[in-house]
Amino acid sequence: MYRLLEFIKRIYVLVIFLILESMALLNYATSTPYTEAKILARTTAAGAAISGAISDVGHFFSLPAQNRELTARIAELSAVLGDVEQEVSVTVDSVDHHFKYHAARVVSMTTNRPQNHIVLDRGSLDGISKDMGVVTPNNELVGYVLSCTEHYSIVQSMLNTQFNTGGCLVDNGNVCVIGWDGSSRYQVQAKDLSVYSEPQRGMAVEVRSERLPEGVLIGTIDEFKLNNTQTAYSATITIAAKMAMLDNVLIVENTRASELDELHKQVEGKK
Amino acid sequence: MFKSILYFWLTLALLFLQIFILDEISIALWLRPMIFPLIILLLPIEWRTIWVILATLLLGIVMDTALGGAGLYTSTLLPLAVLRRWILFLTTRRSVEAGDQTSLLSRMPMRQVILYVGAMFLLYNTMFFMLESLSMIGAMQLIATIICSTALSIVLAWPIVRLFLKRIVR
Repeated sequence: MYRLLEFIKRIYVLVIFLILESMALLNYATSTPYTEAKILARTTAAGAAISGAISDVGHFFSLPAQNRELTARIAELSAVLGDVEQEVSVTVDSVDHHFKYHAARVVSMTTNRPQNHIVLDRGSLDGISKDMGVVTPNNELVGYVLSCTEHYSIVQSMLNTQFNTGGCLVDNGNVCVIGWDGSSRYQVQAKDLSVYSEPQRGMAVEVRSERLPEGVLIGTIDEFKLNNTQTAYSATITIAAKMAMLDNVLIVENTRASELDELHKQVEGKK
Repeated sequence: MFKSILYFWLTLALLFLQIFILDEISIALWLRPMIFPLIILLLPIEWRTIWVILATLLLGIVMDTALGGAGLYTSTLLPLAVLRRWILFLTTRRSVEAGDQTSLLSRMPMRQVILYVGAMFLLYNTMFFMLESLSMIGAMQLIATIICSTALSIVLAWPIVRLFLKRIVR
């Protein structure tokens, strides 16, 4: 109570001034229809501006949630697009789509080690399993799921010296093997590229893998050279995905993966 | 020493001058001198703000009643009562000290008092003419009105401030 009185004592001049000023302004504002209309318009505009500013701040803080929703929506639409393409090209066997997309968020990641990994917030309970591909919402390769628990997955990033996947030149379909030598976090290496493939700077390279659909971009060729034995090209590829700025990603599930695994086992068994 | 009775007569004279002369003559649309805020500005700076606010309220009511301001004069005068110490400090770097024996205004040279009065006039005229027009249509005329009226008010206030410093506060 004493503190309250002290506080009132400290601000009473300001309070009295504000009360008197408000009364005078109110009297002036309501004195004629002109002032009433003008001041009403100004206060409404000021109120709208403040309300707009508050709304903008709220909108800014809701962006991460909206981002997650959009990524989930991209996942749904990618699946629908696959089905549509399948229906359109029923006569073309090679365009068959059987991929499902799961939206996920990056929990943690590294880019400065020889073996870099990415932790995602989706696990086996969400239908994630080992060897599923991981891409950005722009359909750029990130890596493959290495292992998962019930709620989390660990992805082997492209920036991992043990990483390898198949790739092909978009322009002419020549295949290559993609790996990372650990030299730059912005580039991966392609090797075993045919001598007839005619690689060029800026040529796009996409993934050729049974774990991912067609059209997943790895990057563009930065430089290339023939190997010492003159039997194949090797190239340096600038990675399309911004690996240091990953936030929302899509995990790609091949719904026929088990069938493929079975097939691989049969072939290996015969050997 | 502040001579209150003389100050009271000065107040009446300023009110008379403003209400019956300056407000009646029409020089130009953009030239409307207002010297009555001097009544508030020249009140002892040492006075507690609450008393200055109440004196300002009284002056505002008188002006609103006499000139039909409907609260316009009161609402534009009241901020002067609250801000005058700050404006005085900003313009002259002077403030009321705890051990002061004489009035602060009496120790200030004429040039500094005019600087303080001029800044307050500018503030008052800006608030008054903006609140009166409630519109930025004709912004150039509004700015011209504020500047010219402030300048003429300072010229008219000059002899009154001299008189105040010579006869009332010293």
